[in-house]
Amino acid sequence: MSDVIVVSQKPSDAGELIGLARTMGNPVIVAFQDSAERVEELLGYGHRVYRVKSSRPEVLAKAVNILYEEFKPKLILGPNTRNVKDAMSVVAGLHDIHMAPDVVEVRGEVDGVIYKRGFMSERVTITVKVPYPTIILANPRIAEPAPKGGVGELKELSFDSMGVKVVEVKPKELSGINLEAAEVVVGVGRGFKAKDDLRMAFELAKLLGGQVGGTRPIAADLKWLPEDAWIGISGKRIAPKLYIAIGVSGAPQHMSGVAGSKIIVAVNKDKAAPIIKQSDYGVVADLYKFIPTLIEVLKRKRGASHST
Amino acid sequence: MSNIVVLVKASLNPEVVRQNPDGTFDIDYTPLKISDVDRNALEEAVRLKQVFGGKVYSVTVLTWGPLKAREKDLRLVVQEALAKVADEAFVVADESIIPGDYSVTANVIASVIKKMGLNPILVLAGEASIDESTYQIPGRVAAKLGLPYVGYVRRIREVRDGRVVVERDLEDYIEVLEVPLPAVLSVTQELNEPRPPTLIQIRMASRKPVHMLTLKDLGLDVKRQRSIVEMRVVTVSRKQVLIEEADVEKAALKLVEYLEKEGVLRL
Repeated sequence: MSDVIVVSQKPSDAGELIGLARTMGNPVIVAFQDSAERVEELLGYGHRVYRVKSSRPEVLAKAVNILYEEFKPKLILGPNTRNVKDAMSVVAGLHDIHMAPDVVEVRGEVDGVIYKRGFMSERVTITVKVPYPTIILANPRIAEPAPKGGVGELKELSFDSMGVKVVEVKPKELSGINLEAAEVVVGVGRGFKAKDDLRMAFELAKLLGGQVGGTRPIAADLKWLPEDAWIGISGKRIAPKLYIAIGVSGAPQHMSGVAGSKIIVAVNKDKAAPIIKQSDYGVVADLYKFIPTLIEVLKRKRGASHST
Repeated sequence: MSNIVVLVKASLNPEVVRQNPDGTFDIDYTPLKISDVDRNALEEAVRLKQVFGGKVYSVTVLTWGPLKAREKDLRLVVQEALAKVADEAFVVADESIIPGDYSVTANVIASVIKKMGLNPILVLAGEASIDESTYQIPGRVAAKLGLPYVGYVRRIREVRDGRVVVERDLEDYIEVLEVPLPAVLSVTQELNEPRPPTLIQIRMASRKPVHMLTLKDLGLDVKRQRSIVEMRVVTVSRKQVLIEEADVEKAALKLVEYLEKEGVLRL
């Protein structure tokens, strides 16, 4: 009998979640959004797949709730995305079971699970034990991906959504850049006075073979950058070799997104800005004077090294 | 009556993380403050109060102790909600629900809303609290109340014919939704620009009723699920080398030299 429900939003999230599920029990899969469109990829793991042709949290919540009542599983596993968090919070509420999003480590015990996640904008890690049944929403790289094999059985599910009606779907303005994979990232914050001035950051990034990202106000509020360039706890978490934060104050929500960087450089005119203490090299300077100069110095250097 | 309930949390302040000598997190001495995104919910309630014409109630459940030491921080949080928009505040402070547990907190909130007869047309909450960031209390409360729930609302466009039209910010796209009322919405920081309450509003707040409640008052019996095994402060071992030069060229040269030594510069 199946005792773990794995929720998959995209085929790319399924391998690790199924791998983790197999260490803890016997999984069935709920495939929604992209995973519902490409369901054959999920069937290749050999488990039964319930397809939900929707990406809406209300619909996913109903589907998982029905399966929860049918299987009485000890565990629901899913990716830590907005759609899944939203849907699972409702399932958790309906059954009064624990739910842990943003989990980085998890281990099954006889009577429950022990998991670890960030707390206090990830300045603290918290280790928690909860009894079964529980919901765990995992960050990437939580487990070894499961090997494929066999052909699972496909079942279709569909539901209405408590009268919530979609009027329109708008794409987010995305650039398609992959900050998570970049070796050098230049981060921009409110120290920049105008959108045009970001040209400096782009020039610097280009020179260093890197990408440009920004804080929440720059990407989400002012929209000076596309939304996938937003670095922070609710945006992208990056791990470059070099992160150069320009005009960034260093709020915890931003810093938790750059914690994986090897070297952090901060350029800020305020010596007391929190980021200075959280960087390897803190340059106290007016970015409008310092960045053009840095670009000049780097260009000279490149010229010199290329001519030898 | 078309009342609005705003959930307001006294969160541990992530900017002031206190540490015990053994590297564990000293939760008792870390101060509480209003969870930032709750301010966006309060600001929106100011606008929506005009539309609905009913009362605004704030609901706060204390999740961090020790109870006695939290009185001042808790008072400031509740005062901000009252100064900003709430007509009355409901506060549950009870030793038996500290430290917080998501399921318990949601049950307590739902119980306050039902038993105190708050009768909301809309429940507004921040998308997540700044300490735990688990994004789940609003959805749980909706499930407990049997109401539709829409999370990550970045814009409330209009209210018409018993429905509210909102923009929801999901993982890969934004949806415009019509939600039947009553409903529970969680909101993001993009929703509006919260203004701090004025001095007059703060003074007026002291005259508004604050209802202090315990689980006994609510006739509620709850069971906690989570046991905290350990909380450890993440040590940031950054080098903290300061480059402070009157001459920017000198500063740039210095930085480049450091980065070359680190081996992170590839031109």
